[in-house]
Amino acid sequence: MIYALIALGYTMVYGVLKFINFAHGEIFTIGGYVSAFTLLALGVSDSMSFATLAGCLLLALLGAVAAPVIVGLVVERVAYRPLRGRSRIMPLLSAIGVSIVLQQLIILIFGPTPITMPTLKIASAAVSLFGVRVRVLALAIIVISALLMVALSYLVRSTRIGKAMRATSQDMEAAEMMGIETDKTIVFTFIVGSALAGIGGLLVLMYYGSLKFDAGFLYGLKAFTAAVLGGIGNIPGAVLGALVLGMTETYGVSMDLGLIAWLVVAGLVAGLYVQMVRVPRHRLLHIANDRRTPDYERRIMNVYRLAPYHAVKTLLGERTDALLSVSASHAVRLTVGNIFLAATAAIFFINGSARIDTRWQPVIAFVVLMVILMFRPSGILGEHITEKV
Amino acid sequence: MAAFTQTVRSAFTKVPRWVYLTAAWVLAALFPVLNALDLVQTAWIRVGVLSLLFALLALGLNIIMGETGLLNLGYIAFFAFGAYTTALLSSPKFDLHWPFAALIVVSALVAMLGGFLIGLPTLRLRGDYLAIVTLAFGEIVRLTIVNVPTLTNGPNGITGIDFLKPLGPGVTARLQSAGLPQAVSNLLTIDKPTEYYYLVLVCVALGALLLSNLKNSRVGRAWNALREDELAAVSSGITASRMKLLSVLLSSAIAGFAGSLYAYYSNVISPESFIFMQSVIVVCMVVLGGMGSIPGVILGAIVLQALPQVIRESAGAARSEFEVYRMLVFGVIIVAMVVLRPEGLLPDKLWRGQAHEADPRELERTRQTLFDLEEGEQDLEA
Repeated sequence: MIYALIALGYTMVYGVLKFINFAHGEIFTIGGYVSAFTLLALGVSDSMSFATLAGCLLLALLGAVAAPVIVGLVVERVAYRPLRGRSRIMPLLSAIGVSIVLQQLIILIFGPTPITMPTLKIASAAVSLFGVRVRVLALAIIVISALLMVALSYLVRSTRIGKAMRATSQDMEAAEMMGIETDKTIVFTFIVGSALAGIGGLLVLMYYGSLKFDAGFLYGLKAFTAAVLGGIGNIPGAVLGALVLGMTETYGVSMDLGLIAWLVVAGLVAGLYVQMVRVPRHRLLHIANDRRTPDYERRIMNVYRLAPYHAVKTLLGERTDALLSVSASHAVRLTVGNIFLAATAAIFFINGSARIDTRWQPVIAFVVLMVILMFRPSGILGEHITEKV
Repeated sequence: MAAFTQTVRSAFTKVPRWVYLTAAWVLAALFPVLNALDLVQTAWIRVGVLSLLFALLALGLNIIMGETGLLNLGYIAFFAFGAYTTALLSSPKFDLHWPFAALIVVSALVAMLGGFLIGLPTLRLRGDYLAIVTLAFGEIVRLTIVNVPTLTNGPNGITGIDFLKPLGPGVTARLQSAGLPQAVSNLLTIDKPTEYYYLVLVCVALGALLLSNLKNSRVGRAWNALREDELAAVSSGITASRMKLLSVLLSSAIAGFAGSLYAYYSNVISPESFIFMQSVIVVCMVVLGGMGSIPGVILGAIVLQALPQVIRESAGAARSEFEVYRMLVFGVIIVAMVVLRPEGLLPDKLWRGQAHEADPRELERTRQTLFDLEEGEQDLEA
């Protein structure tokens, strides 16, 4: 769920500027570090009265929001604004540079050891919910994320600045002509995004008790995965994506490999079916229009569902019908893909009783990221696309 | 003052380009002589070998990033493929000792296979998504190396890689027992930094030659056209997917080749050498030198690999602290170059590249060179 907060920021910036703010993870880390630093400096402990404790936490929250916002603004001004209007790759490169600089600056200022926050009772307090002990903080994180999601949706959909954001996202030049100050809008977006990252930093710090300087890289990437998973630029999508990713990671490692094998097999069947149905649709365009009666299309579809048979025939050089047969390269691709998937499934079956080691946990997020970008870059809820006309 | 700089600049540009290039190669070739004359410590030759290895790597990345314009953030994974292939097939780990000539080819092929597997499904993705996918790929490769200790020894890495014997272990042993003069039989095993230096230097020179020829060929122009404007390129009859795949294959093969040399040279390899930061460093080299510019990329690699060592030697800073500053400077370099001088230190002629607010005439010229030549209309231009 923590990914949700960071993913929200990612999605905000991407939605308006259409570029991946790679430094977002570092901005999140800065939020965590500054809040930890504030708490340490104030000497927070459980012996304090509730009011002072709340005050201190509020102050930490303020720091966790203010510092990332300032950093975010500086970064936007120095590294992103001059690049506006260039290709997608240039700002990404610049963002990677910024992320390295910020990470090294954190080391220089706070040292390479992870920063830990003073142990507090409220951070570890737990309540019993439906027979399961849940940390209050976990509940708080869920509530805060949900609230922020609603607030952001409202902001983008129903306020003046939200309208400006949408207009800027759609067509910067036209927006400017309509009297929208795009620079200000973008700055505002960065303020909101960085503040979200900062709050995320504080919550992660409270939840796990410590934060390392390079945490931002992995959190940033996972948040990006979550954002893409839900459909980048889409605010509820970011939260949904974060949920799905979090679930996959948590249950993925403890899942039985035999089950995964079945999932792979199911995926294989589904994938084959999709491929069968999808490929010919585009091939059908070659058929003269007068022949494309629904009945004819259905017949061809049925032939394609049996494609492996035709693929083999094509491989053997026996092209049945120029229109109906699968092309040789398609057949090869299908065969290679299926062998690959079958091999994966076989490996899992052999190790049937084994479970995925926790060492593989970071890999899961990366695999999810790759798969989603390769096969459905628009995400679960769909990318918020408003293309230039 | 302005007039003075103008004079200096024109004086420099009057000298033909090949003079500079030859001078650079001769200087590079003479570098170990300084060591022989005891003017330079052997440690510096080692720095030179690593710089050249990274130059080779940067040349490979330049194909995909500079020429074709696809950002690859997991490039070090292909380097790792090459290095681990060589290490597994020529070390006590499985007691295999393949000859050098076979391994260098196999390493390149394995890296190429990796490039093929990742390239096939991803190349149709948009630029920034492709970058993230390659990043994920690089990390998956590294984590897999760490997590499969039965094959790769996990985080401990593989030690005791064979010495590099260009003629293979069998022939070398026979020749040595035949009683050759000491000087000749020493050359049969490449183990001294100077020998490595020349080996890698030759590889870099060959790589640069290959690439500069490729650059001016049909394929190279197709790549450049794809980089500048994919839609226009496809309309002029370039098969985008095939060309992109070709550039990925070639660049990963070079990385595998470099990885193989690296495994031989360093004798020990571990996953730490293949972290994401290394990919970024190679990217940084290409950006600094100039995307698409072969001399630029080599210069970038040498500057970024050697200069930190020089500074560290002279400043005598502690290692960990120095590392922080080094990475800091790398980050600053990337941002500064992208913002201020995106064409790099030694820009390529054909770089219109998404760079400054381009001069329309220049833009037009680039477009004509790229696309009109594609259509065989250069006569009209002349």
